[in-house]
Amino acid sequence: MPKRNDLEQKALHFVISTGYKGVLQSELWRELDASSREGSRVAIKLEEKGLIRREKELQGGRWTYRLFPKRMPASIESIADCPCLLCKDNARCDPTTTISPKDCAKLTEWIVSLGKSDPDALGDDSFAQSLDPR
Amino acid sequence: MLSTIDDATLMKVATAMGEEEAVKLIEFIKTVDEITDDEIANNTSIRLNIVRRILYKLYDHSLVSLRRTRDPKTGWFIFHWKLQPNQLEGFILSQKRRVLEKLNVRLEYEKNHDFYCCNTLGCKRVPFEDAVELVFHCSTCGKPLSHCENGKFVENLSAKVEQLRKELGE
Repeated sequence: MPKRNDLEQKALHFVISTGYKGVLQSELWRELDASSREGSRVAIKLEEKGLIRREKELQGGRWTYRLFPKRMPASIESIADCPCLLCKDNARCDPTTTISPKDCAKLTEWIVSLGKSDPDALGDDSFAQSLDPR
Repeated sequence: MLSTIDDATLMKVATAMGEEEAVKLIEFIKTVDEITDDEIANNTSIRLNIVRRILYKLYDHSLVSLRRTRDPKTGWFIFHWKLQPNQLEGFILSQKRRVLEKLNVRLEYEKNHDFYCCNTLGCKRVPFEDAVELVFHCSTCGKPLSHCENGKFVENLSAKVEQLRKELGE
C-alpha cells in the first residue's frame, strides 16, 4: 500500500490537473489505483488542509463528491522569457535612474515580442524598430 | 508539506535561471536528499565551477539549502546541498511581483507621454519634451521626427499587466 503522503501528493496533482472542471471522487481513486475508502480519506485530508474543495454531486443515482483545486499551481510560464528575470542590472534598475524600465531596450523587445502572435498588435515594423533601437 | 508545483514547473524555473546546465543539475539533485558539489559534478559531468555557480544562484533564491561541515583530515569546509522545492512557489510569486512592478512603471510612462521618432532603424524614439528640445529632429540621423503611435504597444503591455495581476490574485 502506498504511503499516505505519496497518495495525497499524487491526488493533489491529479485534482490540480483537472483545473476548474474538477474531478469526481470516484474517478480519483480509480486513477490513483487505490480503494474507494483510501480515495475518500485522501480527499477529506486534502480538504482539511485547505488544498481542495469538495462539492456534493448526484452521479448515476448516487451521491458523490466533485473535487476542485482551491488554487491553481504557480506557473512561471507568463514571465519565463522576461529579460528582468536574469538581468544583471537588476540591482541598479529603478525608474529614477538611467537604468530604468521606462526605456529599457531589452524590456521593450520582450513587450514587442508579446504581440508577435498577433501580427497587427504593434502596428507597422517601423514602430517596433523605433522602440527597439539596435 | 504538500507541494502544488510539478516537475515541469521546476524544470522551467531551472531553464529561466539562464544556465544551460541548471536543468541537468536540478534533475539530478531532486532525486537525492543531500549532496556535496563534488558528488554533483561527478554524477552529472558538469564542471565543478559551473556546479558551484548554479548552486549559489539557486541559494540566492532559497531554492536550495546549505549545510556546512569541516573535513576532519584537511580542515576544509564541505558544503552539503539540498533542493527545497517548497520554496519554488514563493520564488515564482516574488519574481512575478518584481516583473509586474516594472511593467506598471513602463505602462504609466507609455500612457503619460507622447513619443516622436524618425522611423529609421537604429534611431531611438523620444518623448515630446525631448523632441521639443531637439526641434523635432532626430539626434542620431538628423531626420525630422514625426508622432509615434504607441497604442498597440500599450494594449499589449496592459494585457500582460492584467494577466500577472490575475495570477497574483491582485
